[in-house]
Amino acid sequence: MNRGLAGSMGAMTVLIALALMTPLRVEGQAKKTWSQPRTPDGQPDLQGVWSNATLTPLERPAALAGREFLTENEQAENEKALQPRTRASAGTEAHYDFLQYGLDPLQAKRASSRRTSLIVDPPDGRVPPLTPEAKKRAAARAEARKRSGPFDGPESRSLSERCIVMPGAGPPMLPEAYNSNIQFQQGPGYVAILQEEIHDVRIIPLDGRPHLGPNIRQLMGDSRGRWEGNTLVVDTTNFTDKTNFRGSSENLHVVERFTRVDEDTILYEFTVDDPATWTRPWKAEQSMVKTKGPIFEFACHEGNYGLANNLSGARAEEKKAAEEAAKRSQK
Amino acid sequence: MINKKALSVMTAVVGLLVAAPVWAHHAFGAEFDVNKPLKLRGTVTKWEMVNPHSWIHVDVQGQDGKVASWMIEGGSPNSLLRLGFTKNSLPPGTEIIIEGYQAKDGANRGVGANLTFTDGRKLFMGGSAPGADPNRPDGSEKK
Repeated sequence: MNRGLAGSMGAMTVLIALALMTPLRVEGQAKKTWSQPRTPDGQPDLQGVWSNATLTPLERPAALAGREFLTENEQAENEKALQPRTRASAGTEAHYDFLQYGLDPLQAKRASSRRTSLIVDPPDGRVPPLTPEAKKRAAARAEARKRSGPFDGPESRSLSERCIVMPGAGPPMLPEAYNSNIQFQQGPGYVAILQEEIHDVRIIPLDGRPHLGPNIRQLMGDSRGRWEGNTLVVDTTNFTDKTNFRGSSENLHVVERFTRVDEDTILYEFTVDDPATWTRPWKAEQSMVKTKGPIFEFACHEGNYGLANNLSGARAEEKKAAEEAAKRSQK
Repeated sequence: MINKKALSVMTAVVGLLVAAPVWAHHAFGAEFDVNKPLKLRGTVTKWEMVNPHSWIHVDVQGQDGKVASWMIEGGSPNSLLRLGFTKNSLPPGTEIIIEGYQAKDGANRGVGANLTFTDGRKLFMGGSAPGADPNRPDGSEKK
């Protein structure tokens, strides 16, 4: 046996031993009895402000293949390792220090999880492969971007950079890099779900009405809800092809399940299906944890200097390139 | 010995999950120039607590004695509010030092990578900076 293999096997033994040493949690012992709160009209009550910030990535990192959960020790290390995050770890040396501005996930209220991916199905924790049709569509989108130039005008920029809709608004509602705050408001026959970034809100009827006709398409789709016991099930169709959730087509179909499992936690599960995009449906889950409000205003467009600055930066680069080309041709 | 090895394996495993997605509304590289680092000392004239990014306006006196007005981009005000800062936390007249990077188009505009008071204290640092409310609105613990 070579030394490297012996070493890693030894390490694995220690990891397993550490996992076994971890005391089993005794459920229900110190827990207060909790009963599902209800709204005056009898719906299970999801109202309040919740955070879906998390350290768990959507997809399982390759090096954790085959491992659905971290051990408790690894989880503790994971939390600790977050402390020294600086702007260097924020992906660029040059942008600002996320900690200074309170943008670091470390500073957000978040549910702790030992999961290594939000995706629970397929069991490998990864988004299924794209279909040949979806690959072709992705190539066509990339080609169109190249033709028009990524900074030609506002329309070439992403929906989020244009302050139109942020990816976290969903559905499915995945955590934002920051401001991952969600508010539920309920009235007779309706649930409203608001994401703080650009304060996008879905007003979801619960009366069993059909979806909008196929010619009406919306960036956040068309959501219809119903209660299955204490679980709010939300079915969303009628997306546009501009929604482009990880390469999806306008036929994206999202089913979300929200279940309040205790005073401070909503279990959020979602299944996405789009046969024109993925070889099979896939499913993810995470906890939303109660946080003290309020949700703050996020008037994105009126303060969006960044969009104009990005475009003027691109014009300055083009001018510089043209001047250099002219100089070269004079020589 | 074996513990050391196990620890290093664990650290490697853990490091993978810490690489959480970081996304700052728009690409840094398109707006600011990493080859134009800035260090400015100036007086705050206005603090725009607007989304998606806050902007600090400062007057900076050049070596020739002339005053130039600069705009400095920072993070979303929502996160600052959650840390307990308010619009009164950075009043006009405050003298600050900005380290950052200038806009690609050469305007008096930049991103504030690191902001400090003239005595070296960081401008926004959890509940420890002046003006920050130690009782955070979201009830999260102070680090």
